[in-house]
Amino acid sequence: MELAKIEKLLEKYFEGETTISEEKELKVYFTRENVPPHLENYKSMFEYFSKESTITATRDLKLSAGKKRKYAWVGIAASIALIAGIFLQKTESSTKHLGTYEDPEIALQETKKILQMVSQYMNEGKQELVYLKEFENTKNKFIK
Amino acid sequence: MKERAFITLTDKFKDKLFRLAKRLLVSNEEAEDATQEVLLKLWRNKGKMSEYKNVEAFAMTMTKNYCYDKLKGKEAGNLKIVHSNYKDSRPSLQQEVEAKDSLDWVGKIMDELPEQQRLIIQLKDIEQYDNAEIAKMLDINEGAIRVALSRGRKKIREELSKKHNYGIG
Repeated sequence: MELAKIEKLLEKYFEGETTISEEKELKVYFTRENVPPHLENYKSMFEYFSKESTITATRDLKLSAGKKRKYAWVGIAASIALIAGIFLQKTESSTKHLGTYEDPEIALQETKKILQMVSQYMNEGKQELVYLKEFENTKNKFIK
Repeated sequence: MKERAFITLTDKFKDKLFRLAKRLLVSNEEAEDATQEVLLKLWRNKGKMSEYKNVEAFAMTMTKNYCYDKLKGKEAGNLKIVHSNYKDSRPSLQQEVEAKDSLDWVGKIMDELPEQQRLIIQLKDIEQYDNAEIAKMLDINEGAIRVALSRGRKKIREELSKKHNYGIG
């Protein structure tokens, strides 16, 4: 294409008067290899425009509205199952029997036996504490 | 409308929405978010889709409005730097030296243009919509479009020749 025509188109272009097809002509002209030096600046402009038109979005569109509801049901079901599970376990543990005595007499005897055993162990342990008196004695020597 | 049909329909112009959002918001991330939001909104109102004469143009308008809202929100919140990969629009001398690639330079100049000019150059020079389509999308008259195009393009030319002269001197 002759230079004169391009220059005329450029003039129109900068006045915002060019049509799309005329602008396409300019783009084609300026993305070629050889452009006269005084038009070099326009080259980068038009090259930029055509480069920019090739940029693409990278993220895929997710129309999650429909799917979300499906997953919501799963969530609800899971929480119901969880709560039900907790309640079932609780009621189960409260109904568990550890064994008991029907006759109060025997119950008393058994309780006494247990308490005796506890006190026996306590006394055994207390014997070891005798040594602590030594501390008391030593302390009394200094502090009166 | 089925999901797949919607995606095939919007895939045709999804990238255009993205590029428009990127032009206005600068950040890649935010532009992706904007595209996503606009398409979701469109999907939610898919019942009304047949009423729109031109879904693509409608989506472009939605994107523009979305970005303007975002930008306004930023100004109102007095936040100047919000996006993470924001580049200073007024490059330092150092950057001027570094921006050897004249194509990058054109991008930088464009980022400095007023929003409307940037938007219109994006639609005309990059996406190649004709003036009538742009007029409908932006709801302004064609005269205003011509003026914005002329100013924006001249500004780019002016800045480029300045840079060119620095390069020689």
